[in-house]
Amino acid sequence: MKEIFTMWRHTQMVVLVALSAAIYAAILIPFKGFPIIPGAVEIRPANVIPFVVGLLFGPAGAWGSAIGNLIGDFFGTLSPGSIGGFVGNFFLALLPYKLWGAYFRRDENSEPNMDSGKKLVVYIAIAVLASLVCSGIISWWVALLQIFPFVPVLILIVVNNAIMGVILGPILLRLIYPRVKRWGLLWTEIMEPEEVSASRLQSTGNILVWVGGVGAVVTGLILGTTGAAPAGLGIGLALLPFLILVVVGSFMLGGREQVEALEEEMAAEESRA
Amino acid sequence: MDPSLYLDRDTWVHRLDPRTKMFLLIGAFVLAFIFLDPLYELVVLALVLIFGYMAKSLENLRRIWFILLAVGLLTLVLWSLVGGGRTPLFLFVELESVLYGLSIALRIDTTIIAGVIFLSTTRNEEVAIGLVKLGIPYRFAFAVTTALRLVPTIASTGFTISQAQRSRGLDLDSGNILQRTRKYVPLLVPVFVTTIRSTNVFSMALESKGFGAGGKRTFYLRTALGGRDVVVLVVFVVLLAASVALRVAGYGTLEGFSG
Repeated sequence: MKEIFTMWRHTQMVVLVALSAAIYAAILIPFKGFPIIPGAVEIRPANVIPFVVGLLFGPAGAWGSAIGNLIGDFFGTLSPGSIGGFVGNFFLALLPYKLWGAYFRRDENSEPNMDSGKKLVVYIAIAVLASLVCSGIISWWVALLQIFPFVPVLILIVVNNAIMGVILGPILLRLIYPRVKRWGLLWTEIMEPEEVSASRLQSTGNILVWVGGVGAVVTGLILGTTGAAPAGLGIGLALLPFLILVVVGSFMLGGREQVEALEEEMAAEESRA
Repeated sequence: MDPSLYLDRDTWVHRLDPRTKMFLLIGAFVLAFIFLDPLYELVVLALVLIFGYMAKSLENLRRIWFILLAVGLLTLVLWSLVGGGRTPLFLFVELESVLYGLSIALRIDTTIIAGVIFLSTTRNEEVAIGLVKLGIPYRFAFAVTTALRLVPTIASTGFTISQAQRSRGLDLDSGNILQRTRKYVPLLVPVFVTTIRSTNVFSMALESKGFGAGGKRTFYLRTALGGRDVVVLVVFVVLLAASVALRVAGYGTLEGFSG
């Protein structure tokens, strides 16, 4: 995960953080007027942005999504719950680029331009998992603070994120990816391999993130609907191990291989030219 | 459309150091979370509103009245239905769950109003300096404040694009919320592309002006903690301590509620 810190060395990545955040916030704000759970959940077509900027801009997209969501909160819903929103949206954009590399072989075309059935299936799976993780984190936080009922927030965030991401994401990526690549703004082009952590037991990391994301939501739903754990600290402690699994898995997924693969591809293109 | 909330007023709140205002904001969040009795929450809300009145910032609440009202009503309904208590009120709803819902609604409204007052009295540049002086890395603070500054520009770009699409026959004003949401989809691509296209020029402009050149940065806008800040901080810390002491002594709780 060292790329989430080393990326700040690159002016282009800093600018991409700011622009991603501004786009996300600018699309979020007009929909502040249509809350589902006021102060926590709105109808958010902007929720497709984290998936897109995560895959295109990597760690800059993750920071941009987190900051963009916080700025969106500045325009009407800033509260202690915004801390959970910051972290949840960070992972909503972080996991797509972290997980993407785990599903493609080194010699395989892994550009997230949605030009094959496999890429579409992988994208949908990742978008759903990232939505589960984001929802798990935010619901866990608001459960600890006891400001919203746990189960409705959990379900609404999953549905809101996943629907927007799954329906709009492939279209946006198909249209936007070629332009971003032509402008040299892909995170894999801007960052150097040594600035990105290498994967360690990538498949295990992938499994851990899935177990953590699905486990947090399923366990939360069971505890929340049956009342098996007391609200607040009870649910908070019960979900914590799953969220730790997600973080550990994210560390193991790496990302250096994606940067190296692009470098190799560009070198091959140059030699052909 | 101008989403900026800053109001250029000459009040003592505006003149406070941004770090003091950040502390007051976090303190207001803490204060709102100390009590569970709706009456105590009302007192906290009243204190925040008085502060907002002194800061001449309450006019911004008109822009978010719908959210505040919706928070009040829906949070009350949600907790009344989901929560439990000891005293039956009507059907399966208990008195304690209604009171808890009321308390949480007031709590969320209070924190939202505190956030609006902070943004009404603090410029973007002050937010950046405040973050840097609190030890946040400059590049992160720069990204946050640049994004804040760009939001109106991008929103304006989106508005221009929507006008262009309307002139071609796109109807953004009819249909229910979901139908209208879908109609905004064709606007996302041009907004995204128009904004991201400027990345390289923006980066070169920054680097040509020494961004990332290293060394300790100085700021055109200078802020410092003064006597007024110290007085405000001391008064607020005393208020917080008194609130915690009251809660520890058993005041401001809500008996009988079960989540």
